[in-house]
Amino acid sequence: MQLRGEFNQQEVVRRRMPFVIVAMLALTGLLLLRLASFQFPLPPEVQSYLESLRDAGYKQTLELAADRGIIYDRNGEPMAVNTLDYMVGISPNLISNPREVATQLAAALGASELEIFEAITSDVLWVQLAPRVSASVRQQIAALDITGVTMTPIPRRSYPQGPLASQVIGFVSGDLKGYYGVEGYYQDQLAGQVREREISNIPFDLPQITTVGHGRDVVLTIDRDVQFIAENELLRSIQETGATGGTIIVMNPRDGEILAMASYPTFDPNAYYNIEDERQLINPAISENYEPGSVMKVITVAAALDRGVITPDYTYVDQARINVAGIPVENWDDQSHGVVDVTQLLVQSLNVGAATIAQEMGTTAFYEEFDDFGFGRAVGIDLQGEESGLMPVPGDPNWSEANFITSSFGQGISVTPLQMLTAVSAIANDGLMMQPHVVRQFVDGDQVINAQPAALGRPISAEVANEVTQMMIAVIEQGVDNAARLPGYTIAGKTGTAQIPNAIGYESDASITTFVGFLPADAPQISILIKLDRPRGYWASQVVAPVFRRLVERLVILMEIPTDDVRLALNAQGGSVLNIQR
Amino acid sequence: MSQTWIRHGLSRRVLNPRRQAASLAILGMFVAIFIGALYLSQSSATSTLGRQLGELIDERDQLQQFNEQLRAEIAGYRTVERLLRRAQELGFVSAGSGDIEYIVVDGYDPNRTISVVPLEADETPLPEYEESFMGWIQQQWDSLAGQIEQFNSREVSR
Repeated sequence: MQLRGEFNQQEVVRRRMPFVIVAMLALTGLLLLRLASFQFPLPPEVQSYLESLRDAGYKQTLELAADRGIIYDRNGEPMAVNTLDYMVGISPNLISNPREVATQLAAALGASELEIFEAITSDVLWVQLAPRVSASVRQQIAALDITGVTMTPIPRRSYPQGPLASQVIGFVSGDLKGYYGVEGYYQDQLAGQVREREISNIPFDLPQITTVGHGRDVVLTIDRDVQFIAENELLRSIQETGATGGTIIVMNPRDGEILAMASYPTFDPNAYYNIEDERQLINPAISENYEPGSVMKVITVAAALDRGVITPDYTYVDQARINVAGIPVENWDDQSHGVVDVTQLLVQSLNVGAATIAQEMGTTAFYEEFDDFGFGRAVGIDLQGEESGLMPVPGDPNWSEANFITSSFGQGISVTPLQMLTAVSAIANDGLMMQPHVVRQFVDGDQVINAQPAALGRPISAEVANEVTQMMIAVIEQGVDNAARLPGYTIAGKTGTAQIPNAIGYESDASITTFVGFLPADAPQISILIKLDRPRGYWASQVVAPVFRRLVERLVILMEIPTDDVRLALNAQGGSVLNIQR
Repeated sequence: MSQTWIRHGLSRRVLNPRRQAASLAILGMFVAIFIGALYLSQSSATSTLGRQLGELIDERDQLQQFNEQLRAEIAGYRTVERLLRRAQELGFVSAGSGDIEYIVVDGYDPNRTISVVPLEADETPLPEYEESFMGWIQQQWDSLAGQIEQFNSREVSR
C-alpha cells in the first residue's frame, strides 16, 4: 500500500514537473528579454529617468565655478587676483575639551572666548564661528589641529593695487559678478565657464581628473606706473586748486591704447561697499558729459581747414564782441585784436574768431565735420558705462542757430573727456582717429589673443593735421598756455575754460578747466587730457596748464621719451624712439 | 606482464562519473577563486590608486589656491606706494628732467634686423610598450603579496 502511494506521488511529480520547468523557463525568458530591452535605445525621458535613478545612488555632481581671470597691467603687474576667505565652523559634539579649544580659537579669531565657549558647548550639530576670515587666520587655526573645526573656502576678488585705476578695473561683488570698468565689460571672458565634476561614492571608481576652469586673463593697456603718476598729480592739483573733481587720461594717439585713466573722487574696489555716494563708482572719464570750452576751437579750425572753407593764411578782423544768431559772442579778454590769422585765433583763444569760422562753414559742413570727429556718439571703448555726449543738430528740438555758433568754441555741446581726447588725438595721428581701448591681450591657457588697434575714421587729412599741429605748438610757445611748456620738448596743446550751465544759463563764478595736448609734437607718443572741475582759479591757462607740465615732466622720464635734440639725432641715424617699447 | 600493467593503469585512469564531477567542481572553484583573487587585487589596487589620486587632486587644488594667495601677497608688496616708500628709506630721490641725460650711440640702430636661430625640436622617441601578459600576472601577484604582507605587518604592529 505504502509503495503504491509513493509511486502515485512520484507519478504526480513526474507529470507536473514539465509544466513547472516550462513555466520557470518562460519566466526566465521574460526576465532576460526585459533585461535585454534596457540595452535597446529608450525614449529620452525614460533614459534620463533611469540614469538619474542610477546616479542618485552612487554618484553626485558638483558644479565648480571657474577661477576668474587675472587682470594685469601692460607690464604684467597684477591689478586683480583671486584669493580665498574662509568660513570657520565647528561641530560641538566632536570637542572633548571645550575650554581649551575656546581659548585657542578665540586667540586665533580675535573673538570673545566666552562666546566661542558657548558655541562649542551648545547642543547643535554644527555652529558657525566666523563668517569670513583671511588665509593667514586659516593657517593659524589649521596649525591648532582641532578635530571638528571646518573651514569652508569662499572665493574673493582682491585688488592688490588698492584704489589705483579702480574706475577702469571696476569690481566684483559678492555674487562673483563684475560691475563697471573691465570687470563689468568683460564679465563673460573673465568669469569663464562653470564646470561639472562627478563624484562617485563607489570606492573602486577612479576620481575624475578635472582641471579647474579658469576665465581668460586680461592684459590691460594701462601702465600701472603711468596710472600712479596721473592719479598722484590729479590728487595734488585738486588739493592745490580746491577743485571738486577731475580727470586725467593718457593715451597713445598712434594706436588708441589708454595708458592711464584717472578720476577723482574714486573708490577702493576691495571695499566698494563703503562708498558714500554711488556716483563714485562711475568713471567720469567716459561717463560724464561736459561742455569742453575753448579746446573745441582746435576742432573747429581743423574742420574748416579740412573742408577748404579756410586756409592757414585765412585772416579776419577781430572785434571784442559780435552779435550772431541773436546772442552776443565775446572774447574772453573783452579785447579787439584787429586782423587775426588762424594761428593767432588759437593762440589768443578768440571766441569771435571761432564763431566767424563756423558762420563761414555753415551748419551742414560744420556738423558733418563734427560728426566725423565722433561727437554725439560713443567712441566704443571697452569699458562699461560709456556716454555718447550731446551734440544737438539741426532738426533736434533743443537745437538753435545760437547753439551752432557756441558749439564752435565748446559751449552748448557736451562731450566726455575721452571723446575730446580721441578727437584731438586724431590731429596727433596724421588725421587718423583711433578707437581708444584698455585691453591689450587676452590670455586663455597657452593661447594669447592680441587686441588689434581699430581706426574710427579719418576726419581730416594728414596735411590739415600737420597744419593744426603747428598752430597748437604756437599756442604753447606763444600763447597764454605757455605754463604747459617743458624745456627740451615741443608740445602741442590747447586749454579750455568752460562755463558751467545751470537752469537759467551759466554759473558766473565757476568753471571747468581742460587741457588737451600731445608730445613730441612732430612724432607724438602720448596725448593727454586734464580736466579740473570748479577750481579756485577760473582760467584753464592758470590752473591746468601747470598741472600738464608737472605731469609731462614725470612721464617723459618714466616713459623714456628723450628730448627733441636727442630724438632728432637718433632719427638722423635711422633709429626711432617709437620702436623702443617700455 | 607489462601489457597487463599498462591495461590496468589505463583502466585506473578512467574515473567514475562522481569523481569526474568532483574534480571538475574543484577545478572550477580553483579557477573561480584565482579569478576572484585577481579581481579583488585589481579592485583594491584601483581603489587605493583612486584614493591617492583624490588626495593628489585636493593637494593640487590647495597648492593652486596657495599660489593665488602668494601672488596676491607679492603684488601687495610690489605696489608703487610701497616701492616708493622703500626707495625713500634707502635714500633714493626722484629724478627730475634735468637729472636725465640721453646719449646717442654712434652706429647703434634700434631698428636693426635681429636673426633668431630656431630651436631644434626634441626628437627623443617615446619608450616602447614592453609589458607582457606574464609580466602583468607577475605584477598582480606581487601586488597581492604586497598587500598581504602589509596587512600582516599591520596586524603584528597592533
